[in-house]
Amino acid sequence: MDATIEADGLTKRYGRVTAVDRLSFTVAPGRVTGLVGPNGAGKSTTMRLLLGLDRPDAGAARVNGRPYRQLRSPLREVGALLHASATHRGRRARDHLLWMARSNDLPPRRVDEALELVGLSEVARRRSGGFSLGMRQRLGIAAALLGDPPVLIFDEPVNGLDPEGIRWIRGLLRSLAGEGRAVLVSSHLLRELEGTADHLLVIGRGRLLADTSVGELLRGRGPGAAGQDAAAPAGGSSSLEAAYLELTRDAVDYQAGDAGLDPEP
Amino acid sequence: MSAGWRGPRAGAVQALRAEWTKLRSVPASGWAAVATVGLTVLLSAFVCGSVSTRGGDPAHPGDEDVVMLSLSGVYLSQIAVVALAVTAVTSEYASGMIRVSFLANPRRRVVLAAKAAVVGAAVLAAGLVASLLSFSAGQPILAGNGFTAANGYPPTSLADPAALRAVAGSAVYLALLALLSVGAGAVLRHAAGAITTVLGLLFVPLVALSFLPERLWEPVQRFAPMTAGLAVQSTAGSLELIAGRSARPVGPWAGLGILAAWAAAALLLAFALVERRDA
Repeated sequence: MDATIEADGLTKRYGRVTAVDRLSFTVAPGRVTGLVGPNGAGKSTTMRLLLGLDRPDAGAARVNGRPYRQLRSPLREVGALLHASATHRGRRARDHLLWMARSNDLPPRRVDEALELVGLSEVARRRSGGFSLGMRQRLGIAAALLGDPPVLIFDEPVNGLDPEGIRWIRGLLRSLAGEGRAVLVSSHLLRELEGTADHLLVIGRGRLLADTSVGELLRGRGPGAAGQDAAAPAGGSSSLEAAYLELTRDAVDYQAGDAGLDPEP
Repeated sequence: MSAGWRGPRAGAVQALRAEWTKLRSVPASGWAAVATVGLTVLLSAFVCGSVSTRGGDPAHPGDEDVVMLSLSGVYLSQIAVVALAVTAVTSEYASGMIRVSFLANPRRRVVLAAKAAVVGAAVLAAGLVASLLSFSAGQPILAGNGFTAANGYPPTSLADPAALRAVAGSAVYLALLALLSVGAGAVLRHAAGAITTVLGLLFVPLVALSFLPERLWEPVQRFAPMTAGLAVQSTAGSLELIAGRSARPVGPWAGLGILAAWAAAALLLAFALVERRDA
């Protein structure tokens, strides 16, 4: 079975707010797929629905062809990073990974391998409460990689990382996809995914605005994308950002006055 | 890659091992165990040291329950047990780790049942140590305060079935209280609310006795979790005598059964909610 993530008409409402609205897409193996959209677009909700944490009001989500809740050994099939602080502050980094390994019968050596992989071997015996945000983010990534899964889902993985950390995670995402895994990464900043994502799912107000390759977005495919700069050599970041802003303009929750609408911060 | 019907899985045994690893890897668990044992022994010893046979009713020699007196520290240490068991669940909700737990094993009832089993077993063990030490420390203190055969108090030991029941039953009481607390924590998902709720269930009926009409005393004591559960500490002699005054209207095992029903109700509600709610 191919490593895939599928959303099929996924819908989630919170009271009268529709956070995710009939979302359908497939994340293919062997490439990095970016899930991008403004704050409040429904990225995190989408990921929780894919992972069986939230129940959809309509539609279905499947990982490797099955709903997450039916996976026999989930950590071997899907690795997920949702929230960097999702550890007990009093627990040592190694013990956090150890209880996870026990829950899926993973050999304890995987714990040490995962710590090594994210560069936390030195602090394995320190309590995670004393970790910086970047270190906690690395611990969360180690947790995702623990079961060596063919599918990876990362929610805003570069949050809180320093430039070196950002470079590291970009390389990691590329190499994971290079090994044939399906990698889904969310970000509210398209530029964070530039040069990392092969494919983009752009969402706004819970709806899918574009399901496109980075190149196609630059060439101006999709509704109302700004194609003017597309001819610029090597697709400069300003043109990609402009295309993205154009696409999501009507879908941002909070908009400053015109004076604040400078596309390039 | 994706597992077929064979091969490893995230099942109940794995969930138990994971929950045990979680419990033993935070310092709070050790402190809670120390607090449970320490508070039980200290308060029990204090109570034993502060009672005397003087001033008792001379018409009723031996009407103090010496076994119960030596286990009275449970009234205090149960608070530590409630705090430990509630936060074993609510700390996961507070940090967001509950999502990692449900990712590792999406069969949420299995995860919750494993947590309840591990916390309950740990509290049972700590409770046994606490009640054995309290009983052993309390009897000589009481003897020194005049609770001797000459005054109608023959020495008791664990060879006495009633004393053994009271000592072991105190540990079972704490373990059942831990299960009730795990259930309350999983239903309410916030430490302050869940601890307040459980302590309220324990102590409000006791306070209410002071203003409720006398005809309600018996049903309240029979069905309130603490007064019912701690009936297991009564030893046979005192049971008859106090039952004559209708102060202990439920038998020792029946009382534990009522506490067990409270714990089962809380856990069943938690099981029903945990699958339905978003994590």
